[in-house]
Amino acid sequence: MIELKDVSYTYPHTVQEALHRLSLVLEPGRCIMVTGPSGAGKTTLCLAACGILCHEYGGKKSGLVTINGRDVSAYTGLSEIAKNIGIVFDDAEAQMIFTTVEEEILSALEYRGLTPEDIEKRLASIMEVTYLTELKDRSPHNLSGGQKQRAALAATLALGNDILILDEPTSELDEHATRRIVEILSNLKKQGKTLLLVEHKYAHFRDMIDTLVVMEHGAISAIGAPEEVLKDERIRRIVIPDFTGIRNGAAPALSAFSPAISIRNLSYSYDEVPALHDVSIEISAGEFVAIVGENGSGKTTLVKQFNRLLTPTSGDVLIRGKNTRECTITDLARDVGLVFQNPDHMFFADTVKDEIAFGLENLGIKNKNDVIDAALDEVGLLHTKTLYPRWLSRGERQRLAIACVVAMQPAIIVLDEPTTGLDGDEARLVMEILKNLQVKGHTIIVITHNRDIARYCADRMITMDRGRVISDTRVVVE
Amino acid sequence: MSEILQYVHKDGFFHRLHPFSKILFIIVVSVMCVFITSIPFLVLMVVALLVIAYASHLHREVIQQLKLVLIMSVVFIIITVLTMPNGATLGYLIPQGVPVIGGSIAITDGAIGIGLILALRFMVLIFAFQLFLISTQPRDLVHAMEKLHMPIDYILMFILALRFIPTLQIEGQRIHEAQLARGYNPGTGMIGKIKSVAPIVVPLVSNALLRSNVLGLTIDMRGYRTGIRTHVRERTFCTGDYAMMGGLTVTASGFVVIAIFASGLIF
Repeated sequence: MIELKDVSYTYPHTVQEALHRLSLVLEPGRCIMVTGPSGAGKTTLCLAACGILCHEYGGKKSGLVTINGRDVSAYTGLSEIAKNIGIVFDDAEAQMIFTTVEEEILSALEYRGLTPEDIEKRLASIMEVTYLTELKDRSPHNLSGGQKQRAALAATLALGNDILILDEPTSELDEHATRRIVEILSNLKKQGKTLLLVEHKYAHFRDMIDTLVVMEHGAISAIGAPEEVLKDERIRRIVIPDFTGIRNGAAPALSAFSPAISIRNLSYSYDEVPALHDVSIEISAGEFVAIVGENGSGKTTLVKQFNRLLTPTSGDVLIRGKNTRECTITDLARDVGLVFQNPDHMFFADTVKDEIAFGLENLGIKNKNDVIDAALDEVGLLHTKTLYPRWLSRGERQRLAIACVVAMQPAIIVLDEPTTGLDGDEARLVMEILKNLQVKGHTIIVITHNRDIARYCADRMITMDRGRVISDTRVVVE
Repeated sequence: MSEILQYVHKDGFFHRLHPFSKILFIIVVSVMCVFITSIPFLVLMVVALLVIAYASHLHREVIQQLKLVLIMSVVFIIITVLTMPNGATLGYLIPQGVPVIGGSIAITDGAIGIGLILALRFMVLIFAFQLFLISTQPRDLVHAMEKLHMPIDYILMFILALRFIPTLQIEGQRIHEAQLARGYNPGTGMIGKIKSVAPIVVPLVSNALLRSNVLGLTIDMRGYRTGIRTHVRERTFCTGDYAMMGGLTVTASGFVVIAIFASGLIF
């Protein structure tokens, strides 16, 4: 059991409280799901609940946290707390220490004071429960996102603790991988485990949640049985993304004679591993296209061909009539803007303004200040112009990444999973921004696992599976 | 993307060896290659390492480093030619026909000889460490170091330094792609590398620091630092280990005998 009483916390070198007088009780065998906007303090809550804030972080702390009835500060350190609680952080990759999946789990088991026989038994059982038996000799770095999450979860389960804290375990996972994690966690709950879960995918976890907590600005703004909490319309919009009505805006007329992108018999292989097979697609200027499919289906490989980050093994890609084989990446950056899944891969400047100016300088675009202001206004971040980009919340960083690309004025904007890690309101805001850009004449291509985005925002949905296009349909207006 | 200096799951001669045998192998090879100044003997060591790699089914992984090794060899030879002229002049870096500066920077046989020795030593060390790292699971390495009574924090630091190599490699590639997509063209060669420092290195370091924080917390929360461990699936000495120990003893003894009684042969 974990109990937080009136917990407040301010990170070192900041003035704003990350947690504000927060009280929460996690009772044995129960599952609490915590959700809310990025920057609301969800991860800080996880760190507080497992004693990391108390033992490893500086900053201003007040209130009381107890684990199994004992004050966290009374524990000698994290090694002692780890006998009671297991935590899985949101970055699965960062939790992979060893070089095979089996080694990762076995190493965690070795430090629990078990007999060698018990270790072998528990190892086999954990790998079975987390569906990792067939992957036991694989390097964790070469696993898919879902497999990495399962490996991180398995190493934490190896500790054999009854309390588990999971920080966004499905944030980058596709539908299939998410369902698998839900199934594993659901079974763990049935076995009597106590779960504190930070998540945005309420719909997937609905059946196993006992208490739903919505956090905003470091405090709990709603708590209770899910059906009670969701009666409040504002809270409901935070918890459950609602994309209805986004398509209602007037879409520009498509020109059948001016395809923005023509893909002809495209095949691509990484070394000798085929990733795309004979893909042919025509995308008209001004279209809003959603590309859906499971992890590893070739979606990202496909869009990297648009600006020649990858060059086709065979076949051709034409961007506004120009064959990518005859263009440089810099030439194509004028036509195609690509926003990657993790915005933190691009930010390096000291201010938001300088971050956007970087792309403009690369392309020699004039009137920088006006263009920067217009791009920031487009995404609603004009007030952050002088801030350090990495200080912004996840949702704001995602919008800044879009602004960086919009400022470069490309005709085609491609976004890889633009709603990852965002709450319902933030996800809707991003999709509204993209819809506005379409109305202004941009061609929008969104890679997503979320079929609601395709259903309510896009004009067309392309489904990929194992490197092939398996369906390409116009979305029927509902 | 192939991972640099990471364990490769195979079942070969070198994989089956006990980590102690491999550590001894590294020590003997390193000491020998530092003291040997004979080019034929160093070539012999390179060939011997390639034969061991082939016999252990690790030749592909070792040969992957050949490009780096050859580039570094050329760099070593250029540096020695520029800084250590010695012996007979074989030619000039700037041909004598060039007006004013023609005939400067002599290429001497002594400088080339020293450059070759440095390059071969580098080759021996890279191949030997590569063989050791790609055939040893970090878990076995932890156990071996624990038995040598090294403090657990130092062991974990060493393991994490190795573990971060592929992370930085993959992350660097992603960041590079993200900046290229923003029209960034730092150019090729040394100037390009210097220009790309801020847009690539700043996000790489920032992200790596965040990752290292999570990694440190993971280590604590999995209890690795308690040091109290159940011994399971421990490596035991096998025939290969005795063969390796024997081979190393003979080689090291021969090396010492030659060093004492036949100096000039390899020094």
